[in-house]
Amino acid sequence: MYDFIQGQLVSIAFVIFILGLIFQIFKFFKLTKKKEWSYPPGEVKREKKTAGQWVAFCLASLNGTLWKTDPLLTVVTLVFHVFLILVPIFLLGHNILLDQSWGLSLWSLPESITDILTLVFLICVAFFLGRRLFLSRVRAITTVYDYLILLIVAAPFLTGYFAYHQWFNYDTVMTLHILAGEVMLITIPFTKLGHMLFFFLYRFLIGNEYSFARGERVW
Amino acid sequence: MENSKLGQEMKPVDVKKIKEMLNLKKGKMKRYLSHCAHCSLCAESCFLYMAHHKDPQYMPAYKAIHSLGTLYKKKGKVDRKLLTKMKGIVWRNCVLCGRCYCPIGIHIPSMITFARSILRSQEVYPQPDEVSAESWL
Ligand code: HEM
Ligand code: HEM
Ligand code: SF4
Ligand code: SF4
Repeated sequence: MYDFIQGQLVSIAFVIFILGLIFQIFKFFKLTKKKEWSYPPGEVKREKKTAGQWVAFCLASLNGTLWKTDPLLTVVTLVFHVFLILVPIFLLGHNILLDQSWGLSLWSLPESITDILTLVFLICVAFFLGRRLFLSRVRAITTVYDYLILLIVAAPFLTGYFAYHQWFNYDTVMTLHILAGEVMLITIPFTKLGHMLFFFLYRFLIGNEYSFARGERVW
Repeated sequence: MENSKLGQEMKPVDVKKIKEMLNLKKGKMKRYLSHCAHCSLCAESCFLYMAHHKDPQYMPAYKAIHSLGTLYKKKGKVDRKLLTKMKGIVWRNCVLCGRCYCPIGIHIPSMITFARSILRSQEVYPQPDEVSAESWL
């Protein structure tokens, strides 16, 4: 069992993760079609901005975002998502394994730093948990499933933290850590964690008021 | 008028028809519903939420989840009482102004629109003389 979790299941998880994302992209393009413009968007001449005007423009634009309505959450969610992706990629423990099995050596952050970043990430998770528990507006749309997903995302970091500090039985914690990582990877393409991919599809490819791009496709 | 109102209350729900309609847009709507992070960040962008002292019932996500979301969850097996409740959500609590902002890009108005079409297929929609009776404001 331990062998399976530490061996084949790692590859299986990565394959499901990658193929799942590819399947979702494929599905998305099948479900949507290219937009036929009734009025083709004309060429908008951009005014040349000086550096100062550019900064002022960016700062003013921030007022139309979540930064204005909820600055604390904006910072927390930014830290949460950046660490969620960067920490595991630049983690020494991961990259040693990657080097051993694939001969792929990535640059790594010092372990003392990633350990602190892991802790900061877990604090962000606690913040989201608190919001879900105590804000009536979040509770109004929360189901057990949301707690489960939050747990799935937190588990690799929590067990990774335990492993690094050698708390409890190292072998058991390490196996749990790998299992938790695998569960997270497998669930990403098929649950609400799929927003990792669909954020880009929805906001860049589907045209609507808040698209980042022109929005060339319609459902 | 009187007849159509009576018809609204008496006719049995055509579950098969609802299922058919739900299936038609399953790919899009189920993805929207499942990708919603349930984060409530869309709340402030809805003027009706702001105008109702930030009552969670007026959050865009709440309205989509408790209308279209319920229809998918129950696979169309709903009764008239529930449809009537949804009527209030998708007609009174949302005016389809399209201003809701979701950071992930979930398009709430298209979900509310679709829920309205399904309700209309069951002849559930607001009647002009209902306005005062149901206290629409
Ligand atoms: C699926 C295969 C995975 C394997 C084989 C694996 C393996 C490891 C190993 C060997 C360590 C080092 C523990 C130590 O220093 O003793 C570690 C730490 C860690 N892992 Fe993973 N991991 C996996 C997946 C993940 C995933 C998917 C995430 C997060 C998204 C993750 C997050 C972490 C974190 C945050 C730490 C460090 C915690 C700290 O230093 O405080 N791991 N992992
Ligand atoms: C890569 C691009 C990604 C983008 C643009 C993105 C964007 C967002 C946004 C806008 C929210 C809602 C706001 C909030 O509650 O913070 C959110 C929530 C969330 N995201 Fe992501 N996300 C991404 C990747 C991921 C990944 C890879 C995971 C996990 C595997 C993840 C896990 C979560 C979770 C668990 C929440 C909900 C937090 C809560 O319970 O309130 N995200 N994301
Ligand atoms: S619709 Fe968007 S902003 Fe609203 S709760 Fe769902 S994910 Fe959050
Ligand atoms: S479309 Fe409906 S939910 Fe969205 S902002 Fe307008 S009234 Fe609110």
